Amino acid sequence: MVSINVENVGLVYRLRQKISLARKTPAVQHTGGRVSEAGGRKTVIALEDLSFSLEAGDRLGLVGSNGAGKTTLLKVLYGIYEPTMGKVEMKGRVDALFNISLGFRKEATGRRNIVLRGLINGWSLDQINDRMDAIIEFSELGDFIDLPFKTYSQGMAARLAFSVATSLEPEILLMDEWIGAGDARFQEKAKRRMEEIAEKAGIIVLASHNHGLLKRTCNKILELDKGRLKAFLPVDSWEETG
Amino acid sequence: MIKAIGDAFSDIRSGFRLRRVWLALAREDIDDQHRRTRLGPLWLLVNYLAFASIFIFLFHRGDSSQESYAAYAATGLLVWLFISEILTQANTLFLREENFIKGTTLPISVYVLRLTMQSVIRAAYAVAGCAVILLLSGAVPTPVWLFSALALLLILVAAPATIIIFAFLGAYFPDSQFIVTNVMRLGMFLTPVFWVYSGQGGFRMAFYHWNPFTYFLEIFRIPITDNTVPTQSFLICGTVVLTLWLLALVLLGRYRKQVVFVL
Repeated sequence: MVSINVENVGLVYRLRQKISLARKTPAVQHTGGRVSEAGGRKTVIALEDLSFSLEAGDRLGLVGSNGAGKTTLLKVLYGIYEPTMGKVEMKGRVDALFNISLGFRKEATGRRNIVLRGLINGWSLDQINDRMDAIIEFSELGDFIDLPFKTYSQGMAARLAFSVATSLEPEILLMDEWIGAGDARFQEKAKRRMEEIAEKAGIIVLASHNHGLLKRTCNKILELDKGRLKAFLPVDSWEETG
Repeated sequence: MIKAIGDAFSDIRSGFRLRRVWLALAREDIDDQHRRTRLGPLWLLVNYLAFASIFIFLFHRGDSSQESYAAYAATGLLVWLFISEILTQANTLFLREENFIKGTTLPISVYVLRLTMQSVIRAAYAVAGCAVILLLSGAVPTPVWLFSALALLLILVAAPATIIIFAFLGAYFPDSQFIVTNVMRLGMFLTPVFWVYSGQGGFRMAFYHWNPFTYFLEIFRIPITDNTVPTQSFLICGTVVLTLWLLALVLLGRYRKQVVFVL
């Protein structure tokens, strides 16, 4: 059974002063959470004491202002960040739609890019071959699929990226904003594809500032504020308070 | 430390399971660099031959104490170019792979093996060039040459460990890329790649004996040029490789999930 169980999860990391010959500046510009300083050491408390559970059929909307920790939480759930406290239990195959254009090579053909992107996603060659025709058909690239990626217009590139990224059957789907691509007509098709994936997925976690979209798509809302859980409630109750 | 090494092995195991990813990406990297050229990756062979020929021509006249100087220089250059590329490229590896590290859950070893594979492909063209020079210089293969093959294997085994160490160094200490680049430029002249050490004292003796690169060059070179097995150099290189791997495994285990925060 697909499920997500997050228990007392915290993510604290040191804002390292990079060893450098240049004047001292923080190593990274932290994106969220709170910065605390003790004994000359700066640390970022990105997430603090988060607990929640999701079961099959749940659609969770992550809300909060910029820097509240939405993307950080998604990356913890995906496994890019390892929590420094608590534990995360994910039951089910996890797919993420973060940066859908990641890894596309401009010199390679569209077809070769589908193979490369599939491999990066962890698909086997058989899975890639099985999905190839459907991806090409959905992208509407026609004969362009065998031309180098660099010859594509922005819209064509976005259509291919969208087609590959959404050619999956996730059990748990993590999204940082609802994705779309192409012109008005393709946007409509992309919207239907996203709705299909959302229907098929066991659990969805979607971070967005679009409250209307979250109300339409999600059944639960988790609100973050400076890395802390502010509210975790059914979407109907959020409608009342939000 | 035991846990760190265990985590490192788990990362490497996952990396090997995803071998199709780094094999495909390494091939694309090499192809991309030569895609518009007529000779394609054959330029790697031409580059090596041109580089080796110029140095053999220049240094042979000034220093002909070695009986087969062409073989001496060609074998030395082959190993030096591989080591030099590994060190300089590894230093900026995590910075180049930043988007992947921040956007996917691919194990760190995938990036390490991708660079290893790229360097192996480039070195394969240099090996072909080296074989041509050996053939032209009249060198006759003997069973002792098998030790040169063993040397290449040892150098290959050292490559991923070296990449891991220098990649973490580059991520946590970005200035190191300029230091490493300059040290490697200088190192080419401080290491017996082209010059021959014939027992004299002074600086040459120091650069010869206290330079770890010397021994990696010798384990490949001496079986071919002198038809003997440099046992002591093999022992030194074996110890260096074990030390590199121990350090690399600790770094990989301890910092593989931390590096994302410093990029």
